[in-house]
Amino acid sequence: MSVNRRTFLKATAAGVGGGMLATQQATAARPRKALDTDISMLNDCTKCIGCRACQSRCKETHGLERSGTDPRYNMPVDLSGRTLTLIKMHKQDDFFTFVKKQCLHCGDPSCVSVCPVSAFEKLDNGVVSYNKNACIGCRYCMIACPWDAPTFEYDKALPVIQKCDFCKDARLAHGLDPACASACPAGAIKYGKRGDLIKEAHARIRENPEKYNDHVYGEHELGGTSVLVLAPKEVRFEDLGYKLYGDTPPFRLQEDIQHGIFKYFIPPVALYAVLGFIAYANRRKDNDATKKDDKKG
Amino acid sequence: MEHNSAPMNQRLWTPWFTFGVILIAIGAVLIVYRFIAGLGAVTNLSDGYPWGLWIAFDVVTGVALAAGGFAMAALVYVFNRGEYSPLVRPALLTALLGYAIAATAIVIDVGRWWQIYNPVLPQYWQGNSPLFEVSICVMIYITILIIEFVPVVSEKYKDSKKPFLRSLSNKLGPLVNKYLMVFIILGIVVSTLHQSSLGAVMIAAVERIHSLWWSPFLPLMFLISAIAVGFAVVTVESYVAARSFKRPVEKDMLARLAGIIPYVLGIYLIVKLFDLIAYGKVPLLFADWWGLMYIIEMSLLVFIPFFMLLKKSVRFDIGKLLNVSIMMIAGIILNRLNTYLFTYQPRPGETYFPTLVEVLVTAALIALLFVGYKVLASFFPVMSVSTEEK
Repeated sequence: MSVNRRTFLKATAAGVGGGMLATQQATAARPRKALDTDISMLNDCTKCIGCRACQSRCKETHGLERSGTDPRYNMPVDLSGRTLTLIKMHKQDDFFTFVKKQCLHCGDPSCVSVCPVSAFEKLDNGVVSYNKNACIGCRYCMIACPWDAPTFEYDKALPVIQKCDFCKDARLAHGLDPACASACPAGAIKYGKRGDLIKEAHARIRENPEKYNDHVYGEHELGGTSVLVLAPKEVRFEDLGYKLYGDTPPFRLQEDIQHGIFKYFIPPVALYAVLGFIAYANRRKDNDATKKDDKKG
Repeated sequence: MEHNSAPMNQRLWTPWFTFGVILIAIGAVLIVYRFIAGLGAVTNLSDGYPWGLWIAFDVVTGVALAAGGFAMAALVYVFNRGEYSPLVRPALLTALLGYAIAATAIVIDVGRWWQIYNPVLPQYWQGNSPLFEVSICVMIYITILIIEFVPVVSEKYKDSKKPFLRSLSNKLGPLVNKYLMVFIILGIVVSTLHQSSLGAVMIAAVERIHSLWWSPFLPLMFLISAIAVGFAVVTVESYVAARSFKRPVEKDMLARLAGIIPYVLGIYLIVKLFDLIAYGKVPLLFADWWGLMYIIEMSLLVFIPFFMLLKKSVRFDIGKLLNVSIMMIAGIILNRLNTYLFTYQPRPGETYFPTLVEVLVTAALIALLFVGYKVLASFFPVMSVSTEEK
């Protein structure tokens, strides 16, 4: 292999220039947290009677098949490609309670951060939406989601990622409430603006301190979520599958590291330049040595 | 030292080669079935375990094991250690096949494979995602590996009787050679980036993987371990290829190459120890079985190889050197599987064990590496032959 000095330098410079062009970075207009104006849902475990009307109405609205071991009934055991929300029973000695599972529509969603193809988007109204035309089906969102919300259609040849979409196309677009909220006969699911629902949640705890666990889940967790959860005093949120997280999502550290490595594309370009320089210097040393040898010879 | 590369015109259909081709044929049928029936029909992947054997082993471990290509390129071309140049083309071929296999595994594993090109479309770019970075860098790197292989192919056809092939080879070969350095350095840069980003992928999954394996230094750890094991893979590959083509093993060269490994492992060890101490993980080593697992992994990947390769008697004994290299490869396989699969915490109540199909497809991809190597090294001037022999 022979590379003369000029072409080598020229070509190195071309490589550096190419890197520079790719330095554009998108800036998010929306602050990365849940806002009071976001549309929101308050799920109150103490009011839920476990009828699963929300579950059925959700499937109807999204045209999803029944799930569970017996095909005659609809008995999903967990969220799946066919089940975007479900009611789970939590037993603890003689006490039991119901809890609703779904995508919490985070203010600062992990899926939005980790998706390699921008298939997830935090909309201005607070909904975390999914775009199947972007999605490659890598399932990184499922790894990164702190609440196991995204699921995948393993039984289909041409699958999509599934998760609660807040009924944004099927119902909100027509001025209707989300399917689950409208189906609930017990008033356990309340739809509204996040700021109002947080106030209401605190009011419920204040009025019935002996009934409620003194915590509005989703008010602050990982930057706040659009879906808020109230639990009975007897249970801990962790036991309901709602882990108590800090205010900062873990992927933020990942983003910081990633952005550090790619800061204005300087580190990769610098690495290229350093390697290029070392290679060039070594080559020159070699060439000089050969010349000397030639003279001697 | 002068050296030339030559095609190994030898009998292809040995029993092992036939076995490999059968494995590939079985794998190909299963892959077609996977595309018709969907992932659920052939794998044990679930909503609890979105990533299984194919991602953890075929992709993540495969990419780490294919790091020999860029590690050798950096050593020979950037740090000007021309004495190792006979190892460059074999390492390049291994990397090319390794990445081709990892890319194949990705296409098989992703659900919406017909949109696999989406990461290159500007409207879908996502600079926050390490996986975006990995996909772009891997695409660039595979392109570079193909470009780096052009001189090998054109060397074969430069005196071809077919005028078109001959003139194309005589034009393309020198052109690529002229700018080869640009591609080599770019290849090193994108390798550095995506090897480390594969570690960064799991930083967001802090709740999912065991604290002993989770670290903000995962990118650095993945990069350094891949480089160290890259040299070990070159050693094993060089030995196996020499035996397969009935040629002398480059014992002295491999011994000198192995002398570099302890330095790289030393840096890895420092990062690992710092991570254990700074984040107060030392007690976790003795807390449960995972602590033992960590110690076993570290022994295979670092402790034992580090001290053994410091000894000249080990480096210059090809049998021992081979054993240490295989030990390091086992260590990195364990490390990647621990990080991506074994210590993974799914949602409650989920378990994962690969299906026979997942295992057979993986076996087919591994067979593709050996079969592809044998075929390409037979037809193209990849393996080095000393000048006297010619």
